[in-house]
Amino acid sequence: MRKLGFGFLLVTVSLAMVPPATIAGQAGTPPSVKDKAQVEAALSSGQTGEAPAPQDVKPAASTAAKPAAKKPPAIRTEPIVPAYQNIKERAAVQVFFVWLWLSIGVLLYFLRWWVQEADRVFKAKFYEPVESPRKDNPLPPLLGE
Amino acid sequence: MSARGIVNWFVDRLALKPILDYMHKKEVPQHHHTIWYYTGSSILLFLFIQIITGILLALYYQPTLEGANASVGRIMTELPLGWLVRSIHSWSATFMIATAVIHMLAIWFTKSYRKPREVTWMTGFVLLVVSMMFGFTGYLLPWDDLSLAATKVGTNIPKAIPVVGTWVTQLLRGGDDVTGDTLTRFFIFHVCVLPLLVFAVMIVHILLVQKEGMSIPLKDEVEKKKLPWLPFWPNFILRETMIWLVLLGILLTISVLFAPSLDLSADLMAPAPEGVKPEWYFLFLFQTLKIFPANMGPVTGEFVAVALILVVVVAIFFMPFLEGNPRGKRSKLVTYGGILGVIYAIVMSIWSLL
Repeated sequence: MRKLGFGFLLVTVSLAMVPPATIAGQAGTPPSVKDKAQVEAALSSGQTGEAPAPQDVKPAASTAAKPAAKKPPAIRTEPIVPAYQNIKERAAVQVFFVWLWLSIGVLLYFLRWWVQEADRVFKAKFYEPVESPRKDNPLPPLLGE
Repeated sequence: MSARGIVNWFVDRLALKPILDYMHKKEVPQHHHTIWYYTGSSILLFLFIQIITGILLALYYQPTLEGANASVGRIMTELPLGWLVRSIHSWSATFMIATAVIHMLAIWFTKSYRKPREVTWMTGFVLLVVSMMFGFTGYLLPWDDLSLAATKVGTNIPKAIPVVGTWVTQLLRGGDDVTGDTLTRFFIFHVCVLPLLVFAVMIVHILLVQKEGMSIPLKDEVEKKKLPWLPFWPNFILRETMIWLVLLGILLTISVLFAPSLDLSADLMAPAPEGVKPEWYFLFLFQTLKIFPANMGPVTGEFVAVALILVVVVAIFFMPFLEGNPRGKRSKLVTYGGILGVIYAIVMSIWSLL
């Protein structure tokens, strides 16, 4: 049982090393900055529900003078595949993953002990009121009792 | 003040002593069906995860036609671990409904709904339906072509009901068609109406479970067998904690490895895409609607299908009363009906995916 648990832990930890993008078909591509820009543009342009063509947007000579100037609009043309945003996030998730399963393993180990101890205490009727052995043959209480 | 002192202070001020005493006295029977007791608390675990991740997502989500898809995109690409939070939310919903279905089937086949637990069964069934409604309303929120088409199909179903059908569809859609109003409406249902409903019914359900205690197998009850038992606290709770830990680990693993992607924003004017599919727990209903012909004599096939589904739903809700004696002939029919229902749902779901 313990070997099985260790094997399961090992498999999971090694699985954790595989980035989700690989599984999703985007081998190791971090979240594209392009995607980000597209989402941003869609958010800003989307308020009107219209997306003007990129050539319609002229660079503002003075931003203060033209408050209506918008970011270059870009409509997302490809689905967003979930992926780590950068190497830091990827490392954070992998460390978290390893920590998670190690913690679960350790906690399960201690919980098993705890369960066994709780069951032992219960079977021993530790918390039940003790029946006095003198019940059938009561003796006068001792001094100070 | 020591930690023990602080705990005692809270117990005293919040008058928690009777609850703690009750937990100490509560007994959990031990028999060959004890494993099913753990499914109930697992649903609570997933519901808790849903609430936490749902709140995090709601901080950035915009329930408008223009902002819905883009804001989900922003959550996935800009926010630190936003894709993971969304993935956990999505997968915990799947886990919650799966566990709720297993819990219901376990109660069905062990006949734990028998007297005096009829209302517990009914509230539990309402909770399952509300959980599925959570899934239905949440499916539209990313606002992509597939979710739009699935919502159009889903909200069109009530139309087949005579008299009130059209009104129900309009109520769900906020108009004649699925639009931005539907999205806002579904968001309100998803984050406000349904959570309130779930909490109200769940409190009644849990109180009833505490009042009647855990059911024991029918055979042992008839034979009036004295079963061994374990204290709820700490023996049973510790075992539950072990199961919660494993489930949590599995949920997080799957959420990281199989995070859902986000399709392009839905176009209201575009035709429905091919391969429109609802969530897995609606697949058998979806396929059922598909196999009925357009017309069946004087009525439409859709009407017959919806009527049949409604009859089955009402029958399941009132099952403890329809069954009568749990050891009678009708009771066996109910069990066989359950087995047939499970086989039907599996076959139809697979057929729908082919």
